[in-house]
Amino acid sequence: MLPRLWKIGSGFIANTKRSTKTCTPMSADFNQRWHASYPELGTDPVPIEPLISPAYFALERDRIFRRVWLQVGRIEQLPEGGSYFVKDIPICQTSIVVVRGKDGQVRAFHNVCSHRSNKLLWGRRGSCQVMTCKFHGWSYGLDGKLSFVPDEENFFHFDKGRHGLTPVATEIWNGFIFIHLNPHPQETLREYLAEVADGLTGYPFAQLSTTRFSWRIDLRANWKIAQDAFQESYHLPFMHKQSLPDSYTSPKNPFCHYFGVKLWTHHRRSSSYGNPDHCPSPLEIVAQRFGSSVVNRTFAMEDLPPGVNPERRREWALDTFMVFPNFNIFVLNGTYLTHQFWPIAPDRTLWEVSTYFPAAQTAGQRFSQEYGKVLLRDVLLEDASTLEATQSVLASGAKTHYVLQEQEILVRHAHKVVEDWVGFYRERENRQ
Amino acid sequence: MTQRILPEIFTDLEPYAGWALTKEAERSRKRQQSTIEEIRAFYTTMLPRMEAVLTHLNQFPLDAMPEKEQRLFDMTLALAEVAPAVELFGKPSEDDVFDVARFVPEHE
Repeated sequence: MLPRLWKIGSGFIANTKRSTKTCTPMSADFNQRWHASYPELGTDPVPIEPLISPAYFALERDRIFRRVWLQVGRIEQLPEGGSYFVKDIPICQTSIVVVRGKDGQVRAFHNVCSHRSNKLLWGRRGSCQVMTCKFHGWSYGLDGKLSFVPDEENFFHFDKGRHGLTPVATEIWNGFIFIHLNPHPQETLREYLAEVADGLTGYPFAQLSTTRFSWRIDLRANWKIAQDAFQESYHLPFMHKQSLPDSYTSPKNPFCHYFGVKLWTHHRRSSSYGNPDHCPSPLEIVAQRFGSSVVNRTFAMEDLPPGVNPERRREWALDTFMVFPNFNIFVLNGTYLTHQFWPIAPDRTLWEVSTYFPAAQTAGQRFSQEYGKVLLRDVLLEDASTLEATQSVLASGAKTHYVLQEQEILVRHAHKVVEDWVGFYRERENRQ
Repeated sequence: MTQRILPEIFTDLEPYAGWALTKEAERSRKRQQSTIEEIRAFYTTMLPRMEAVLTHLNQFPLDAMPEKEQRLFDMTLALAEVAPAVELFGKPSEDDVFDVARFVPEHE
């Protein structure tokens, strides 16, 4: 019996048209030595403790999530004055309301009433002219100023001007709304995003963001375990052997090696191979014919800005831009998707996935989007089960470290950057 | 004569009109609750008709389709939903896979 890895296409269509070319040796340009370019990362195993330790989690809260720019949503969620959405940030034990004022300005506030700290808005999204607390009817304008207090004359030495909502810093980049829990951040969002913003200059986010499909998953796994799964492609030929049998692998690149990796101070990027000989399924052919938004099928490189697929490889499928700490943008040709991982507890994460398309003009285009969306979801279902399975045995003590290979350098970098901010091991060493 | 529920030229697809579900969660639930034989019957009937179906539906505004066209369109979305089951997995969903109901659609 063949090893299970090669037993692809057990489905009805049996993938009979898929490539049966003989296996050729992996070409040299898929075998780059990324670690040699980043010797400061070392090659040692990576400790597991940060994935299970409550103490580490508390430090992540205080030293990362309270101190960085965090992506909370897109401007399309706020189409007009009065539009708002609520973003809970459980690791920081707060909730944020993001609202567009009548002046068009997007502002964000802690979603906390100034009276007795009730959570102000309980819904997820909506539109309003004033924000009113359920508890005692205190009302705030869209600019966060306290506008009405019932029975106001019974408060003492009371000045409404001193009791507005607590603002959080808010900036927008390419339609992505970021907040910073320090009201006076030390760096602007543009400075924070740095090389990510450089690399994505000119990418048509606005054009591609008019339709969005999203899922929320309450995942029983540490946020870094979840994020790690999207920072390496080594798992693809195994985990996704059924769902992605030949899209990102081929006899030329059987283990899905990257052909571009760039590690920056906090953020990182990778470029992934797409198999030009991918054999589409029967319905995929229909989806391609009636729409253009199925992933990984067009090669109009000249339409991409220079920072995307900077290697200008014809066999390019996608770039991943990992924005520290928890926001990942997967840029493709004609669509993009985002992952965000919100820590809730050391072993629990709110995972948000969105896939974005230009607004469909026809039924055929909308069908094509649905085809791509369902395939993405079914691929992610495979990832999700492994993430929870990993977490379920991680605290067993059976293993103390991760062993990482060449192609998992983004995972290594991610763990190093977190530790750079957290300093858990640095301080332990200093104490000894 | 019984009342037609799909456009005249697609009445052959009417036995599968139960797949005309408007929400992703409903479509994925029906996929999970169906046998692979039921799913394949739907897929193999729809697939050769898709060219004609989408060409027909493309004549109508996406956000204001007549009732019968809307029903047919929802069936095409259900076909997208079941495609991985037929084309990739050979079963409604893979063994040991994450529960799709835990992927809660947020924007759809």
